Amino acid sequence: MIYKVSYVVVGGSHPGAIINEDEPPKVGDRVRLNGDQFEVVEVVDLLPPRDNFAYVHATCEPIEEAAEESTSP
Amino acid sequence: MTMVDVLRRSELFSGLTYEQVKRIAAISEEAEYDKDDVVVQEGETGDEIYVVQEGMVRVLVSQGAIPDVPGPPQMKSIVELGPGQSFGEMALLDRGPRSATVRCVRDGTRLCIIPREALLSLCEEEPRIGFEVMRNIASDLSFKLRHRNLRVRLESGGRGP
Repeated sequence: MIYKVSYVVVGGSHPGAIINEDEPPKVGDRVRLNGDQFEVVEVVDLLPPRDNFAYVHATCEPIEEAAEESTSP
Repeated sequence: MTMVDVLRRSELFSGLTYEQVKRIAAISEEAEYDKDDVVVQEGETGDEIYVVQEGMVRVLVSQGAIPDVPGPPQMKSIVELGPGQSFGEMALLDRGPRSATVRCVRDGTRLCIIPREALLSLCEEEPRIGFEVMRNIASDLSFKLRHRNLRVRLESGGRGP
């Protein structure tokens, strides 16, 4: 199955992306879009699967990388 | 990955047999682009459909000239398209000018380029291919519209689907 994922970014200036993935995204996943990192906060099956394709929507939020680094061990 | 493998991972050719996709690959060519290369320019005429093989492209539309501000119009980013995604299909359907600019966001972005007339000829010659390709183009445009509608809704404080 190929997962056609619509990543919609809430907050920030990234326009979002449409990407074919081999695995469906999950809430809590981190995705990198054009160098910026985002956290998946919502995943919804957008449409019924057809042929070899599943259609998924993922809402993402930007990750503050500076804050992330300061909390890393 | 061969051109056939790449095209089989694109929704545009979903439902076609390996042999049918091979016929699409036979009329296609590959090209590699660098970051910031413009593949398609808004307002220009175009005769090709593109499928992203590797890398990423960004779709932008102009927001019109701003009065009293010299220089080119501001560009608004609409979406980024990764491997397996297609663009340029609107010009295939309506033969109108390109509705957006498409720019590569990574070095080494590889695209499959499918000439419009050759694809339309193949669709007429093989109606099964034609039906699947046209249905898939409609489905892909619908998906992009849903993506844009969700983005507008979420940006204005609404909820997801």
